[in-house]
Amino acid sequence: MNSPLKTAAPGAIVHPLKQPKSASAELSPEMKLVQEALFKHVGKPIPRKEDGRLITGKGRFSDDFSLPGQTYAAIVRSPYPHARINGVDKTEALASEGVLLVLTGEDILADGIKDVPHNPVPSTNFDMKLRAKDGSHAFTGPHFLLPADKARHVGEAVAIVVAETAAQAADGAEKVMVDWEELPFVTDTAKAAAPGAPTIWDEVPDNVFIDTTFGDIEGTNRAFEAADHVVKGDFHIHRVTGVTMEPRASLGSYDPETKRYTLYAGSGGAVRQKNELSKVLGIEPKDLRVLSFDVGGNFGTRNRVYVEFGLVLWASRKIGRPVKFTATRSESFLTDYQGRDLVVKAELALNKDGKFLALRSDNLSNVGGRAVSLSPLSKGSGLITGSYDIPFAVLRARAVFSNTMCTQAYRSSGRPEVTFVIERMCELAADQLGFDKLELRRMNLVPPSSMPYTNAVGSVYDSGEYEKNMDRALEISEWNMFDARKAEAATRGKILGRGFANYVESSIGTPKERAEIEIKEDGNIEVIIGTQPSGQGHETSFAQVVADMIQVPVEKVWIVIGDTDIVSVGGGSHSGRSMRHAGTVMAMASADLLAEGRKRAAELFGSTPDQIEFEGAVFKLKNSNQTIDIFELGRRTRASHGKLRVIRDNEMHTPVFPNGAAVCEVEVDRDTGHVQIVRYTTIDDVGRCINPLIVHGQTHGGIAQGVGQAMWELCAIDPNSGQPLAGSLMDYGMPRSDTMPTFNCEIAEVFSPTNPLGIKAGGEGGTTPALATVVNAVVDALSEFGVKDIQMPVTPATVWRAMNNGRKAS
Amino acid sequence: MSRVTITINGKAETRDVEDRTLLVQFIREHVGLTGTHVGCDTTQCGACTVHLDGRAVKSCTVLAVAADGSQVMTIEGLADGATLHPMQQAFHEHHGLQCGYCTPGMIMASVDMVRRHDGELDEHTVRHELEGNICRCTGYHNIVKAVLDAAGKHRAAKTAAPVEAAE
Repeated sequence: MNSPLKTAAPGAIVHPLKQPKSASAELSPEMKLVQEALFKHVGKPIPRKEDGRLITGKGRFSDDFSLPGQTYAAIVRSPYPHARINGVDKTEALASEGVLLVLTGEDILADGIKDVPHNPVPSTNFDMKLRAKDGSHAFTGPHFLLPADKARHVGEAVAIVVAETAAQAADGAEKVMVDWEELPFVTDTAKAAAPGAPTIWDEVPDNVFIDTTFGDIEGTNRAFEAADHVVKGDFHIHRVTGVTMEPRASLGSYDPETKRYTLYAGSGGAVRQKNELSKVLGIEPKDLRVLSFDVGGNFGTRNRVYVEFGLVLWASRKIGRPVKFTATRSESFLTDYQGRDLVVKAELALNKDGKFLALRSDNLSNVGGRAVSLSPLSKGSGLITGSYDIPFAVLRARAVFSNTMCTQAYRSSGRPEVTFVIERMCELAADQLGFDKLELRRMNLVPPSSMPYTNAVGSVYDSGEYEKNMDRALEISEWNMFDARKAEAATRGKILGRGFANYVESSIGTPKERAEIEIKEDGNIEVIIGTQPSGQGHETSFAQVVADMIQVPVEKVWIVIGDTDIVSVGGGSHSGRSMRHAGTVMAMASADLLAEGRKRAAELFGSTPDQIEFEGAVFKLKNSNQTIDIFELGRRTRASHGKLRVIRDNEMHTPVFPNGAAVCEVEVDRDTGHVQIVRYTTIDDVGRCINPLIVHGQTHGGIAQGVGQAMWELCAIDPNSGQPLAGSLMDYGMPRSDTMPTFNCEIAEVFSPTNPLGIKAGGEGGTTPALATVVNAVVDALSEFGVKDIQMPVTPATVWRAMNNGRKAS
Repeated sequence: MSRVTITINGKAETRDVEDRTLLVQFIREHVGLTGTHVGCDTTQCGACTVHLDGRAVKSCTVLAVAADGSQVMTIEGLADGATLHPMQQAFHEHHGLQCGYCTPGMIMASVDMVRRHDGELDEHTVRHELEGNICRCTGYHNIVKAVLDAAGKHRAAKTAAPVEAAE
């Protein structure tokens, strides 16, 4: 088999960090200014500007919006994992009190409503290229707002009911009669890819629609033949869901006079929603305005279009009134895009000294009933060798359909999965071959001298000091004093265990971003940007960047986001891209603005721009007492030159590789199997840190989500009925205040050479090593019972069984 | 339908509502105070926490008719004009919020906790008593710090002006 990566590379893309330095690669004068001017506010833990409205109840979340005459939608959902729709009888529903409209998949086809153009296959220059088995572009399963043929998972929307009140809509939905024909189903990842599994899409009879092999097969085979040891591991990084605290909501409105649609819907980026939904409706993007203000959590789940967003717009046109849909928590559990669900078989070859020689990995991703995003599989594919120098590797990356809700990028898409595998493999190898766990890792780490480092599947790690991270994490976690703590815990009937993991991850993301900056007459600066925060504090950290550049107090800078009538271009917020992309383009735009200001000031003073100095938001003619501040300049030159305003576009394709290490200590109760995390320590190299208060906060939340998956969270499905068993917060284990520890987090700043600000990314690094760190700690605690491995989540039942069976629990 | 009068943040609000109307729906949909949020339908998440006659309750689990004649305080009524309540200030200073969706409920529950314990709180107690309020963004680290800080300020104020604090 050929490696698509290796065959695609020649003549196509040379990684920028691997190119010889040319004159053009030197910093432009304006970017020199960026680097010189910055970092007065940047790097400071400034409390957030957005807090004011959020702590006083003045936030603007999607369901907070209402329009005159609005109606309410309820969705009819499939009760079966796999069932043909032989017909839908609307009669009784339409006769129900208050019901105005019922629409089904047949109406979708009749009205020419298109499927959602998710473009699930990642396509930037540095994404792993995933293909069908024969090398062709994969069939990914069309996603219509409502299917006409069959339902492919429990909870799939099959009809929308619109009524005068929410309660009437819910009543009406119960009266829609669907003639179901149940079909054989499969929900389990491995079983969906096994021969003879029920077929989800006729176009892909065996359900496996992606099957791509990366890496040097011959070299890997030779390395395995020459190896002294081979360690094998089987893993299932199980399915979880985002549980954004704000259930998804949408309010659609159609204006027949202007023929324009308006959608209020929180998402990961309003511009993407506008572009994709306008295709669904068959209209020009300019005829759809999307508003997305405060968003109550995203974590990847809101980056893609939800069918209800299109449905409320379409229904609004049908009835000529606004239509609102707000999901219940149970609907969120059933039909929010879910995360993870990767099955991995791995083999690691080592020589007698413990040096890693080669890795084989077979990764199978369960995408659900159709492919919405292959980001998790793709992201993980580039990082299978983790923080370690493994000369040869082969990865078979497959994706499979199943009768489950679709999966999507979720909190550090794809990286916690592969980090879990490589870090568990380190532990298994150390245990089986008698090496010290830490020394085995240390001797195999990628050294700083190898940066930029190309790993065995072609990812180029930009920078990092991995061993230093490791040393620091061990030091601040007081690793060496563990024995005394373990002895103390034993006096209380608790078994103390400790776990360690290194990680490296990648941040790629949509490459384009635009910033517009205007000096307003009222003495403020307005910045328009196309990212979409959902708690990351962009209104503060972005303002810090611009405030540094223009040299004004951070209070004067206002970030405008989330209205597609104002924000025309924007890649949204995902993959840790926001600060890197937005920070860079805002700094560039600020430099442009200052250049324009210098020009105008020069004209005003009858001089030339090179004679103008700029300091403290004031332009000054050299060797004179003539000065003008930037706001006054804007006012004074407005009539002659127009607004003091710039628009700047920027594209950055080169990925960055945040990295770090984490240490976890757990107490296991010998009688009940209850696990309590008592210490949690992290080091995260985020590159340049703009606001440490915000970055630490992001890390804390990231840790909680990783820990949650390792300890409690699970989208359980009953194998006999295909029914999801986690339908409310009573059946899905969430991290809560009394089950989480206080964290000990440090930031390491190794500036990335890939962008002018040196930014990598923050937050997701909290999640990436957490699964491995927690499981390593629990296995360590249970080692006295002969436990070598354990399946997540490590609930008391699983741990108790492991302690009492003395072998791998499942 | 029933006629219900509830005094919210000091203002009497009278509405004719369906008997199945929840207090949170009364607050959000009938009175239009959208600072109180709905995060689940099962009294698990605490985003809808308000003060009902001075005690923190989850307003998704109280019928509006059952609150007829009561005094309710929501997040909108907590600040004293432009002066933030010490708990709001503490959440801001300690970065105890990110997306802000759980925040109104967190703050209302925390204010009640400080009141019930008269500020005598430690980390264990705060973590135990906030267990009924779920946050997905912060990992609780900075929320706990904020509540402890506000509790400390409450104790300090009590020492400085014991008579006022006792009222």
